[in-house]
Formats: sequence, C-alpha cells, structure tokens
Amino acid sequence: MYSNAVWRKGLRKPNQPAVRPSGWQLFNHNRLARLGMWIFVCCTVLACLAPILPIPDPNATALVHRLAKPWLIQWFFGDMVQNPPVFEGWLGTDHLGRDLLSRVLWGTQISLLVGGSATLVAALIGSLLGLVAGFWGGRIDNLLMRGIDMLMAFPYILLALAIVAVLGAGLMNALFAIAIVNIPFFARNVRGVTLGVVRQPFVEAAQLVGKNRWQTLCTDVLPNVMPTIVITMATTLGWMILETAGLSFLGLGAQPPQADLGSMLGEGRKLLFTAPHVSIIPGLIIFILVMSINLIGDGIRDVLDPRLKSGVMGRPAAATNIRCNREADEFARPEVQGLIVNQLQTEFQLGHATYQAVNNVSLTLEAGECLGLVGESGSGKSVLALSIARLVPSPPGCIVHGQVWQDTQDLLSIPLAQLQHIRGNKVAYVFQDPATALHPMLTVGSQLVEAIRAHRPISYRQAWQQAVNWLERVQIPNPGQRVHSYPYQLSGGMRQRVVIAMALINQPKVLIADEPTTALDVTVQAQILKLLKQLQQDTKAALLFITHDFGVVTTLCERIAVMYAGQIVEMGYTTDVLNHPAHPYTHQLIKCIPKLGGEGALATIDGLPPAMNALPPGCHFAPRCPWAETRCKESTMTLKAISNSHWVRCCKPL
Amino acid sequence: MMLTYIIHRLIAIIPVLLGLSLIVFLVMAMIPGDPATAILGNFATPENVARLNQQLGLDKSLAEQYVIWLNNVIQGDWGRSFTLNRPVLDEVLERFQATLILAGAAWLLCSVFGLLAGIIAAIRQFSWVDKIITFVVLVGISMPAFWLGLLLIMLFAVQWQWFPASGMYAIYGGGDIGDLLKHLLLPALTLSIVAMGVVARLTRSAMLEVLRLDYIRTARAKGLTERRVIFLHAFKSSLVNVIPVMAIQAGFVLGGAVYIETVFQWPGIGRMLVNAIATRDILLVQGGVLMVACTYVLFNLGADVAQHALDPRLSSRNRI
Amino acid sequence: MVWMPAMLTALCTKGVIIRATQLFFLSILRCLQVVACCLLSVISCVEAQTPTNVLIVGQIAEPKSMDPHAATALNDFRILMNIYDGLVRYKPGTLDIEPALAKAWTISEDGTHYSFILRQGIKFHDGTEFTANAIKFNFERMLDKSHPYHKTGPFPLAFFFSAVEKVIVKSRYSVEFVLKEPFAPFLSNLAYPTGLIVSPAAVKKYGKAFGRHPAGTGAFKFAEWQSHRKVVVTRNDDYWDGLAALDAVIFRPITDANTRVAEMLSGGIDLMVEVPPDNLAMFKKAKDLTVYEQTGPHVWFLILNMMHGPFADKRMRQAVNYAINKQALVNSVLQGTAVIAAGPTPPVFTWAYNKTLQPYPYDPGKARKLIKAAGYKGEKLTFYVTEGGSGMLEPIAMGTAIQADLAKVGLKVTIESYEWNTFLGKVNPGLGEQADMAEMAWMINDPDTLPYLALRTAAWPEKGGFNSGYYSNPEVDALLKEARKTTDQEQRGQLYRKMQAIVHEDAPWAFIAHWQQNAVAHHTIKDFQLQPSFFLLLKDVQKLP
Repeated sequence: MYSNAVWRKGLRKPNQPAVRPSGWQLFNHNRLARLGMWIFVCCTVLACLAPILPIPDPNATALVHRLAKPWLIQWFFGDMVQNPPVFEGWLGTDHLGRDLLSRVLWGTQISLLVGGSATLVAALIGSLLGLVAGFWGGRIDNLLMRGIDMLMAFPYILLALAIVAVLGAGLMNALFAIAIVNIPFFARNVRGVTLGVVRQPFVEAAQLVGKNRWQTLCTDVLPNVMPTIVITMATTLGWMILETAGLSFLGLGAQPPQADLGSMLGEGRKLLFTAPHVSIIPGLIIFILVMSINLIGDGIRDVLDPRLKSGVMGRPAAATNIRCNREADEFARPEVQGLIVNQLQTEFQLGHATYQAVNNVSLTLEAGECLGLVGESGSGKSVLALSIARLVPSPPGCIVHGQVWQDTQDLLSIPLAQLQHIRGNKVAYVFQDPATALHPMLTVGSQLVEAIRAHRPISYRQAWQQAVNWLERVQIPNPGQRVHSYPYQLSGGMRQRVVIAMALINQPKVLIADEPTTALDVTVQAQILKLLKQLQQDTKAALLFITHDFGVVTTLCERIAVMYAGQIVEMGYTTDVLNHPAHPYTHQLIKCIPKLGGEGALATIDGLPPAMNALPPGCHFAPRCPWAETRCKESTMTLKAISNSHWVRCCKPL
Repeated sequence: MMLTYIIHRLIAIIPVLLGLSLIVFLVMAMIPGDPATAILGNFATPENVARLNQQLGLDKSLAEQYVIWLNNVIQGDWGRSFTLNRPVLDEVLERFQATLILAGAAWLLCSVFGLLAGIIAAIRQFSWVDKIITFVVLVGISMPAFWLGLLLIMLFAVQWQWFPASGMYAIYGGGDIGDLLKHLLLPALTLSIVAMGVVARLTRSAMLEVLRLDYIRTARAKGLTERRVIFLHAFKSSLVNVIPVMAIQAGFVLGGAVYIETVFQWPGIGRMLVNAIATRDILLVQGGVLMVACTYVLFNLGADVAQHALDPRLSSRNRI
Repeated sequence: MVWMPAMLTALCTKGVIIRATQLFFLSILRCLQVVACCLLSVISCVEAQTPTNVLIVGQIAEPKSMDPHAATALNDFRILMNIYDGLVRYKPGTLDIEPALAKAWTISEDGTHYSFILRQGIKFHDGTEFTANAIKFNFERMLDKSHPYHKTGPFPLAFFFSAVEKVIVKSRYSVEFVLKEPFAPFLSNLAYPTGLIVSPAAVKKYGKAFGRHPAGTGAFKFAEWQSHRKVVVTRNDDYWDGLAALDAVIFRPITDANTRVAEMLSGGIDLMVEVPPDNLAMFKKAKDLTVYEQTGPHVWFLILNMMHGPFADKRMRQAVNYAINKQALVNSVLQGTAVIAAGPTPPVFTWAYNKTLQPYPYDPGKARKLIKAAGYKGEKLTFYVTEGGSGMLEPIAMGTAIQADLAKVGLKVTIESYEWNTFLGKVNPGLGEQADMAEMAWMINDPDTLPYLALRTAAWPEKGGFNSGYYSNPEVDALLKEARKTTDQEQRGQLYRKMQAIVHEDAPWAFIAHWQQNAVAHHTIKDFQLQPSFFLLLKDVQKLP
C-alpha cells in the first residue's frame, strides 16, 4: 500500500526533489518483471481455481479416448472432411484417457506448492545455518562449513535420489530431498553476507550497548541479511520447480494418480514419438511458469540489490553522449595551445528528473597556465572536468550544449577514435582517489606501458624503460623494482605519484587534476602538489586544478574560477579573487577558510546548495545570499566583467 | 607460496572425502533392499539372499564392511561391483571418462559462450543484442534440460537425422574424434544451456559493475581503445567474480549429467550411479561418489588457484 | 465449453492461418538447416557404414556378465544363448526339450538319476575339447562351496540345480546327475541359461574376469565387449549344428526405450526387442519395418492379501477379478502387447495349460454385488505399485488404470509406488498388515516354478517362499508336490490343469495378462523368429544387403 502511494506521488510530480525511485517503481519500471508477474499470477490463479473450474476430474480414466490430440491441433492440421476434429478436451488426453487440461492445472498447483515449500524450507534452514556460521565464526563456522562442503561435493541430483530412496517416493519426500539439496546454497550465500555485516561497526555497537548475541543477531544482523535471503529465494524458486520436475521425471515424486508437471512429463516421455503432446504440453507449462518466476526474481533482485538501488542502472559508454544542436553552435575555430570550453552544458537524466550538473560554463586555459576550479562538493566541478574529454558516465550523463576546443578540434564533435587519440595524449587526467584509479590486478609498469603504447608505436621494452624513467621523475624510490609492484603494494602517496606519471607520460598539452590530494594525508599532499607544479612547469602543460581548498589554489594557480550550482560565478586572477571577491558566494566561501590563530567559531554558509534538478530561478545563490533582493530571484544572471580579467555572475557584485 | 597453499587445500580434502564416504555408507545402509535382492529379483527368497550375501561378503556388520572397504581403498583396491561382476575402479574410470568428456565439453561451451554472451550483453547494455541475449539466457535457464534434450532428439536425430540419437561413438567404424564430436554435440549443448545462462548473467552483471569503477575511467582517460578497456581491464576484474561461479557450474554440470546421460544414453558416471543406487551396489556408489566429489573439490581448488593468479591482492591476504 | 472451438472455427479463415504459419516455420527450418549443414560439413567424416551381413541388435541394458552361471537377467540371456549351448535346449518355437550338447538321455525310474550321452568332437571357442569332465566342472563350480573355482562367482541362480547331489563322469562322453529327490523341472532347468556349459579352461585362465572373456560352444564366438557401447560376437566356423548365416552380431545396450525407438527409426539398429506398447502401432505402419510377436511364459497378476483385510473374503477377491477391465488394459495400456490371463499358468506350456479355463469376464455389476455381499465398508486398500522391473509391463499406468477400475465398483484404493528393489523388499517378505494388494510378474521356464514358489502353504514368506498373499489350499499343495515327482509329462500336465482350476476359483490373485513379447526388425532381416522362451536365437537369421 505504502509503496503504491509513493509511486502515485512520483507519477504526479515527476520533478520532485525526492529522487530515489521506490521499490515498486523500480519493479514496475522493469517491463519484463511486470510481464512475468502477470503470467505467474494467471498461472497461480488458474491452478488454484482448478477445483471449481468446469473441467473433468483429472483422475477419471477413459481408455477408449486415450491419447486424443489437443483440439486446436486437430482443427489446425486435421483434414476437416475425412477426420472432422473430435473434441476430447482442449489439450487432449493422456495415455489413460485423462483430460490433459485438467491434469495440467492440478499439476501446476502441486508443482507450485512443492517448489514453494521446498524453497521455504531450504531458505529457513539454510539461512539459519549461514547466519549462525557467519555470526559465531570460529569452530562452529568451520564445522558447519565442512558439512556444507561435503553436501556440495555430492552431485546434487544423486543426493536427492539417495534421500528419496531412503525416505521412499512421494511428494513430501521429494520436497524434503530438494530442500536438503539446496540448503548449502542458501547457507553459503547467507554466511557470506553475514560475515560482511558482522564486520560493520553497528554490530559491535549493538554488542557494546549490552544486547546478547541472539538479540544482536535478530535485531541488527538479520534485517541486513534479509534482502539477500529474499533475493536468493526469488531466484531459486524457479530452479526448485525445475528440480521437483526433474525428480518426478525420474519417477520419484508424486504418487499416481496424482501428478505434478514433472511426473506428467515423465509419463508422457514414453509416448514422445506417438503422442508428443502428452510430454510437450507439461514441459511447456513448466517452462512458462519457471520463466515467469525467473523474470519476477530478476525484478526483485533489481529492487533489493543496493547497488542497483542507486537508480543508476546503466553502464558508462566509451564516451559521454552528446545531444547538441550543431547548426546553432557555429563558432570560430580558435587556434589554441591550451583549452577553450565554450558554453558547456551537461545533464544527468535519472528517472523523470533532469539534473543540470554543468550549466553553460565557458573558460579558457592557456598553455602552461594553471587554472584553479573551486567550489563546494556537488557544485559540478568534477562533472565539468570529466565533460572535457567526454568521460562523464553516460547514461545517465549527457552533454547537451557547448564545445571543447583543443588544438583546432572540438572534442565534443570528433569521432570516438580521434577522441581516444587525444585522451591521455593531449588531455590527461589525475583523479581524486589513487586507491581506485589504478587497476588492482595489473602491475604499475604494465599500466604505464599501456598508456605510452596507446599513443606511440614503440616497443614494449622501450616503453617499459620510459615507465621506469617516469617513476623516477615522480620521485618514487627504487623505480626499477617498484615498476613490478601491484597498486595495493604501494602507499597512497606512491599511488598518486604513479597516477601523475601515467598522466604526464605522454607529455599532454592539458592536464586536468580532479582533487588529486583530497584522499591523501596532509604531509603527502604537500609533496604531491609540489611535484605536480614542478612537472607542469617542466612539461609546459596547461593545468586545470580542481579543489575545494583555497589554500592549495593560492600556492598553485595563477587564475581561479569559482563554481556554484553548475555555473561559474566568479573568475579572475587568484590574487584579485581572493583579495577582492566580487560574488557573495566567493566572499562567504573565503570567510569559511579556517585561519591559523583565528578566533571565534568557524564561519559557515547558511542553507544548503540547491538540488540540481530544481534550481531556483534567477541567481541560484539568492536563497542563501544575505544581500539578495527580489530582482536577484527574477532575472537570469550572466557572467559580467568587472575588470578585464575578472568576471562575476551577480547583479550587484560586492 | 602457492604450492604450500595448494598442498594445504589438498590435505583439507581428506576429511571431507572420509566424511562423504561414511555418509554414503550410512545412506546406502538406510535404503531398504539389498544388493542380493536386486540381483535375484523374483527369486529373492530369504535363503537365496542369505547365500548370495555370504558370497558377496555382505553378511558382515556394517562397521566391519566399512573398515574393510577403507582398508582396501588405501591399498588401491576399490572393491568389486556386485551387479557388474567387475572391479569398481575399472567401471568407474571408464564411465568417468565419458562423463568428463560430456561435462567438460558442456563446461567449455558454457564458459566460452556464457562469458562471451555476458560481455556482449554488458557492453551493448539495453541494445537489441542485449535484449536477445537476455531473452535466450532466460529461456535457457527456465527450460527443463531433459525436456530440451528430448525435443532436440526428436528434431535433429529422428526428424532430420543430422545427428545420432544416442551413444558416444558410432557402433561400427567411427571411434575417431569427428565421430565423437557428432555424438557429443546435442548432449553437450543440452547440458550446457542452463549453466551457460547462469554464467552469462553473472558475467553481464559483473561486467556492468566493473565498468562503473574508477579504474575503467582511468583506462579510458588514458586513451585506450574500447576493446582493450573491456577485454583487458574490465574482463580481467569481472573474471575474478565469475570464476568461482564457473567452478560451481562445473559441479552443476557434473550433477546435471544424470538427466542428460539418461536421455542421450551417454555411458557416463551419472547414469551408473543412478543404477548403482537402484541396485544397492554400495561399493560402486562409493567409488563413483568419491570420484565425482574429488573432481568437484579439485575444480574448486583450481578455481581458487586461478582466482589467486588473477588477483594478486588475494594471495597477499592469505599470507597475512 | 464445446461451443467455443466451433465459434473459433467460424471466425478464422483456416486456410490463411495455416498458410502463414507454414511459411513462417518453413523459413525458420530453412535457416536451421543451413546452419546445421555448415556445422556438419565441418565435423563430417566418412559416414561409417555397417558392413553387410552384420546384425545390430538394440538391447535394453548393458549386460552384466557373459558368464551364464552368474547372469540373472533376460537381457544377458539373449546374448548368452548365442555363445553357449546347454546339454538340452528348447525346440525352436516351443517350450519342448530337445537334445543339444547331449545326444540322448535316460531318467531312472524314481526320477533321481539322469544320464546323458554327449556329442563328440565339439570344441569350445578357446580350442579345448568338450567332454564329460567339463560338465562336472561346470556344475561343481556352481554348487560346491569347496570347489577351487567356486569363488569366481557369485552364482545367484545356482539354486536351479540345488536338487543335484553329485555329478558323476561315467566316461569321456557320458555323465550322470544324481538328485537328492525327484525333481521334474530338472530338464527344463538344464535348458535355462543357468545350465549353459562354459569352457573350464577359460574359467581357469580368467578366474573372476571370465564374465568378460566368455568361451562356450555356441554358434557365435565372443569377439569384444566395449562397455556401454557394444558386445560383438562373430560366427563360430566350427559349430557342430550348422553354421550361422550372419558374419557377426553386435549387441548394443540402449537403456532408454525412447532412445531405442529413436535409434530404430534413424537406422542405428537393425533389430530391437521390447518395443514400448505405444510405439508398436507406429512400427506396424512403417513400410520398411517388420513387427514380430510371441506370447511367452509370463504372468502378470495382482497379489491379494488373504491374511489381513477385506481380501480374506473370497467374494472380495473374485470381485476384484470381475471389476478389472482386462481387455481394456491389454488393448489400451499395453496396446496389444499382452493377452488376457485366465489362471496362474501361461498357455505357452501347451501340455500343462487348462484350456477349459475362461478368464473372469469384465462385470462391474457382479463385482458390486459380491462386494456388497462380502460386507465391505469402504476400508482403505493399499496397493503396492512398482516403477519398473523385469516383466512388469508399464506397471504405473497399469496400476493407475486398475485403481480407476476398482474405484468404479466402490473400492477405495491408494497407490504406493516404489522403485523395483524397494518394492521387492516390501512384497517378498509378505504383504502383512501394510498392504492389501501388489503388482507382480514372473517369467518362468517350467509350469512348476511359479505355483511351487508362490502358491503353496509351505511357500509363505516366513518359510522362505514368495507366497506374499498367504494363499493356502492343501489340495493345491498336494497336487504340486505330486507333480514334482512325476517324470511323465502327460501325467504332470494333468496335475497342473487340476491345480489351475482350483486356483482360478479361489482367486488368490487377480489374473491380468500374459506378455506377448515383441521385436521390430528392418525388412532386410530374414528368418528371424521370436522364441516362447523369450530368448533371442540368431543362428539362422539372415541380413539381406
């Protein structure tokens, strides 16, 4: 009910800032899952209604009418004149003359019941074992897991066979057999997740609060493991039904005359050549049923899986999609050594909402120059940086307007192959977190070599030598040895040095550093900055340096651009901007810088940055601006020059 | 380093196998009926059964039988099958070879096509190729394998006679690799289809996940071609997640072989075990189960080793 | 319900739909065909042709042993009968005894001494000569626990000859069996595969592995056995009784009936036995196939529990016999692969069969009357059904159909189905209080076997017999005992006929059917004949090119 309400609300106001799609919305968004659910509901309802539907008794034999073909097939293929179709039930009859439609319906009921109950039993026992093993650990874990190993090493179908042989044939026993066979699967999955959960701090916290182990297990661990259990159940149900069918197919399931779909298939199998419909129809029903269940299972998994829940279900393409209106943007082709970004506009499309991450940004970067790009988190500076070489993940990202000029080429309009030639060669990046930026399974050397050989046709050996040289240049001690290391064997600072080496190894014209020091500790930060500055000067690359730290900007950059809500609100020489901030936002931002020996509480900016899918009209900063007037909220702001090198986006600059 | 790890793992197998053999013995003892009845059929009078049991050495207590068996196995004698009048080891090895060919082929098919389909579906996410692959995979994992086998026989062996309906080699002549392949195609395909689906799905999701990671962005930022990004960077990482599942699929394929061997009359170990359980041929069951269990465990070990070889971080964690 | 299809017919133009569908499927087929042809051309090798004059037989299972003394299954016997000879054999087409390795024999007055004169100059396949010593070796290996080669067993069916006290070699070519007591079925048992004669030299050479390296005196020599693939036998060019027409026979095990049918249809085998009933009609219609049928010494019946429950009353047992529509079972479920049974003895034993006996007719009305008279109050009846087993002819379908028939006369029957060995484990110790009825089938080689093992008072389960329904009639006991002692066939037959009449009236079983065994062969196979013994004799079979 609740989720339904949310869904409706979501429908009515597509541009609402509340953004995460609800579970039901996600499930419903998945058309296949919806289809599966309809099929499943139809099958289940029909199967449940079997007792009251006007169909013959499924067990009434009529040997005279045995193996009648389905009516439709008779009608379709039969010769109307000589063999007029005889109506012997919609789906014909089996080898004892029993009505197949009726048997299929009753059989579906049994199959669903058995499959469902087996799933429940297996999930219950398996999850319990998994929880206990994962939560208690130690010897219990070891013992349980050895037992599970043993069960798993036994071919599953033989285990089921043996169990049925011991217990005797029959639906209940088949149910138990299938449940037992699937316990290890649940136990393993649940144990894995439990282990992860147990390591989380809140579990320790719960213990510290004084809950006993069972309480912790039930109130803190179980709820976090539950999604996994549900996913596993949803994805296993279909499989269980198949397995029930398999056992029955081998004659170990339902006792005659009762039949589930599997035993119908098994009985019909003998007649495969004479009366194929007897085996094909139950097979088809199993197939449809299991398929619908699998579709639902996939849907549920998509909803519950936290990784998919973020709403970003796509995978990034090789380059960001461009949706520009080309003809309107004819722009003089400037000859630039550095980089010109012109009216760049990047959006994210999530569900019905559009997020304007970068909104009409223009900036110029001369060769050898260093431009600092400053802003709060979420101001769009990283997206701007990534947009330059079309690295914004797409979907959901999309560049809708603008050009990026580098050396006579508009990076946004050239084909992918050319773009790949520019990436890493002319325009290189240094990313924020060196821990994730390097491929964990390749050696540092091979990653460097790869970067070189992508652009220059030199031998592997030569490239390797260059890699070693560059490691030396970024001041990694013992480069000849380090080049063989894997990233995890290096410290954070070292890794960032490697990343810098990798960026500069082809001597790019433009280097974009996206908060390259944020993830490092302070002493290392300074070293890295120094190194970066030095190398930039050596290679004469233009540097776009992104940070939220004014201190860093002062030491590094000649010019500075301040971003707010996807727009540049102020741009100019570092000294000008820092000493005479013209935009209220810059002003407040500078006030927030903690000063050594400064007195009193740290200044903050009131309010929060606006949601990017619901930007306020007029000046985006107006709601938080202490100087704001009504006109600020009405007219759109443009970037205006207040001196020939200082621009600001404010109607009454300070 | 790796070697000691492997040896440790191998030693850890022993208790599992011992426990397994004990379970098999107990389970077989719990199943009503005995091999003598199975052999004698209609003629199984208590008198005849007792005489035959004595000849078969089954008149001893269960514990005694187990100890004798264990002792023999350690000396390399797996005993004699009651029903087949043949050393268990001969039979098991022969049948196991057949299963290995079938399951191996199926596993190969499921790995190659599963991985390929997964990768293609991932890099063409939401395209019609992705949709077709997703659909085919869904069909594959939703279909009862034995049913599919029957349909294939009906079409390809009986209707069109392109492929033989059953067996492993042509009955006269043949025996070469082409002959084997011809007999192998249908059963291996049938057997692999479910596993293929599982691998393809997993590969797809693992690839999608990896493709979203920072180091893929780095790789692209370096200007690598998309092919290199996907097949080297992304695939290598996703493989680490896919490998254990591929090992599980190997076990699954071994288990699923029971149906396929029945439908296609493949002389494999699955069918042998089903028969052996039915005829209460306890030593044959033991031999077969141990063989399969060993393979399964070795496969898992292989997967672990492969995983370690791919991802150096794992071995470093082991070292600690 | 029925009007809806009619409406559909009216609504759609049938021809258009059919044409469209056909085109659609045809195009798909075309694509598939092209793909498959490409595939085939890649892996195609020269299609191995079966050489002419080699017969390929589809067997129902992998043989267990080629040692006739160790073998127990009909499936094995079908091969063994072509590799080995016994002292005597069944005359082709009958169940009468005729000489084989023994030229002639005499039976002592008291029926305890059997002397055989052996044929001379016969060689085993391994080259050693067949003599009286070989006979002695064969039987002592089976029967004497202290015999040096007894451990090459086990010999499950050795009890066929448990009446033998000793075997005396009279001369090089004459041998005498001394029995502990008169045992009339002895000759019949000698003709059974357990009585086939193996080469002592080969047993000594191979020991326990003799079963995989057989050597006999038969029309075909064992050539090779590739497990689960084939057993090949080739013509014995030294055969004493005329040479075989075929160069070789390949026995191919195909356990799955469907696959066997598929192989027959796709030409993978020339001859197959035990065709599933429902495929028989199809084979009969096929132009290039010939169907053979032969009723055999087989009975399919229901054991009724006379100790506990409603079936202690004779009227109830007769009611069951009246209530089951045997004709429908035989025609529909078994598709004519069986004939209705009237009593416990199959009609193929012409000399012992009581022709005056009529099967219980299908008469539900009479059944209801009898049930009412017996005072049945709707007690639940448990019915043991097996899933398969030797000679069990579609047991599940039969059981289900019988259950439905009994339901029509008001009997509440619950089926419990068991896999064959478990089933035997439940039925052989007696039905006790657990069950009221059970399916059962026997294949026998002498009219004595079944009633002696399953109808005497002394054959109650706790006494070591198979009388699982606890039938007891002193008259029957006496008749059977007498028949065993009688060596004259005519007199024996008389006794069995009397026994059948009594058993028919007492109805300890519901007599259902005798199996009509079938085989299908390509029309190129000539001179093939199915034997009433169910064995497969291939010596005279020809395969036209």
